[in-house]
Amino acid sequence: MAVTDELRSGSDSVSGGGGDAPADAGRRRRSWRKGRWHTSIGALPFLVYVALFLLVPAISVVATAFKNGNGQFTMANFDEAVHGVYLQSFIASIKLSFASALIAAVVGVLAALAVSATDNRIVRALVTAGSGVFANTGGVPLAFSFIATVGNFGVVTKLLSSAGFDLYAHGFSLYSVLGLTIVYQYFLIPLMILIMIPPIQALRKEWIDASASLGASRFQFWRWVGIPLLTPPMLAAFIVLFTDAFAAYATAEALTSGTIPLVPIQLGSLISGNVLAGQTNLGDALGAGMIVVVLVAALLYAYVQRKASKWLR
Amino acid sequence: MATVTPDLQRGAGGEGSNVLRLGKPFRYTVLILVGAFFIIPIVASARFSFLGNNNSFTFSAYTQLFGTPQFWSTLWLSVKVGVGTVALTLALLIPTVIFVHVRLPRLRRLFESVSLLPLVIPSVVVTLGVITSFRNLPNIIYGTPVILALEYVVLALPYSYRTFDSAVQSIDLKTLVDAGQSLGAGWIKLLRFAILPNLRSGLLGASILTFAFCLGEFAVASLLSFTTFPVFLVQVGRLEASQAVALSLIALIFTWIPLALVMIVFSQRRGGRRGTGIESAIESAVAD
Repeated sequence: MAVTDELRSGSDSVSGGGGDAPADAGRRRRSWRKGRWHTSIGALPFLVYVALFLLVPAISVVATAFKNGNGQFTMANFDEAVHGVYLQSFIASIKLSFASALIAAVVGVLAALAVSATDNRIVRALVTAGSGVFANTGGVPLAFSFIATVGNFGVVTKLLSSAGFDLYAHGFSLYSVLGLTIVYQYFLIPLMILIMIPPIQALRKEWIDASASLGASRFQFWRWVGIPLLTPPMLAAFIVLFTDAFAAYATAEALTSGTIPLVPIQLGSLISGNVLAGQTNLGDALGAGMIVVVLVAALLYAYVQRKASKWLR
Repeated sequence: MATVTPDLQRGAGGEGSNVLRLGKPFRYTVLILVGAFFIIPIVASARFSFLGNNNSFTFSAYTQLFGTPQFWSTLWLSVKVGVGTVALTLALLIPTVIFVHVRLPRLRRLFESVSLLPLVIPSVVVTLGVITSFRNLPNIIYGTPVILALEYVVLALPYSYRTFDSAVQSIDLKTLVDAGQSLGAGWIKLLRFAILPNLRSGLLGASILTFAFCLGEFAVASLLSFTTFPVFLVQVGRLEASQAVALSLIALIFTWIPLALVMIVFSQRRGGRRGTGIESAIESAVAD
């Protein structure tokens, strides 16, 4: 896209030139300068708005994390954030997000492959629209619909127990990390499907035909063509899912009432005022820690993405 | 069936028929299993919400809910915040996106990445930042739901910006502007009579996505102690499960219908290749 835009604006300035060269160049330079001035005015409100309501809060969290209650510099907040319960919550959060993202990535890719291979237009449209809707579904209502399904008194729980299988006697609980992993699938799988359909559709028919005419078996096609091509976008998608799961707050809070120590939950309870003496800015250190985790993921994403975009344009 | 020979497949040759060389059993098994995972909780919720004592069928969860004044007041609050957020979003997006397309086409990608920034900062962290940095603002902003609308504009940007941006991309804005200006129209007239009428579906899409986001947002509202609709839902859930499930079902259906409309309208308009909102946000993020 960016390339075509540049081409277009380039050709504009070329076709704009027609009279004698020096005067034209002067006019262009002037209009360029004028354009630049207008530029900053027109784009400014949006940038200022984002800076004010997103960057200022984010930066203030990081800055406050380095201060104690009296505003002096300290590392004590971080020291506490990487020890004991808080360290445990970082580990639990990362484990949960990793496992959820992994399961969703595998299931989502299979579903995206199945959808892309279907010639039934209605199924395709249904899955694409459905994924777009479900990927945005997270949050509180999702938690309650799972409580209704496999909660203590859920419909499926009851059905199973009347069939002689007691879910909760076999170590399952919806209100646990396992339960959250399952519930998160509800918005992670659709997200994976949405992300993977374009790269799968970009697998060029010529490549498939070429491999077929060279006598490749189905296994050989996937081993040497399909999987190598889809691995980078899958990795990138996995990182997106991980980030999404890591930042999720509403579902976990509604489902477990804050009993499972995850970073967003801990941070939430610190914000809601469950602060012990001497922990004034501990929340900010946790917040800064979350930003670090997400930033690392984003950097990995950018790296993987550069590899991925080589083939799939 | 599963192992059709490659030659036969090529013979069948239709567009996308089986270029991926996946057998029918595989396709149907995957789609049915995944589909079941998504449908069962909805069916179970419906059943759960109509369940009375001794497995009888009852509407009592719903009638009790509609009789609760808090149901209406929190819903009204969420709607107000949503409308305010949509208005602010449009006021911010329309001039910015059009400006970027007309004057700064080279920076289009950059602005798009700015709009994706909220995905990098978890909303819990944003909330904490809002508390630490805006605590001292006048009470009319910080102490009222106005702050929610102000923040939701930013947090919904990944969905709204992309939708509107791709709508602007799909029309020939430059020609419209040139034609309008050569006829002597100022920017107000241009917007009113030439540009915005052509962007109706984009405006609608961005508005619906933003509004749906506002109706469902929980983290910021609950941590800033505003009892919006989702916060009320959690409060109900701690006392009365069947009412909370009934309420969730209503909430889900009411967000799904408009979202599905957006998805369908947009995928048709663009021949099914390009979607909207999160879909194209992700698509663009992946394409970068």
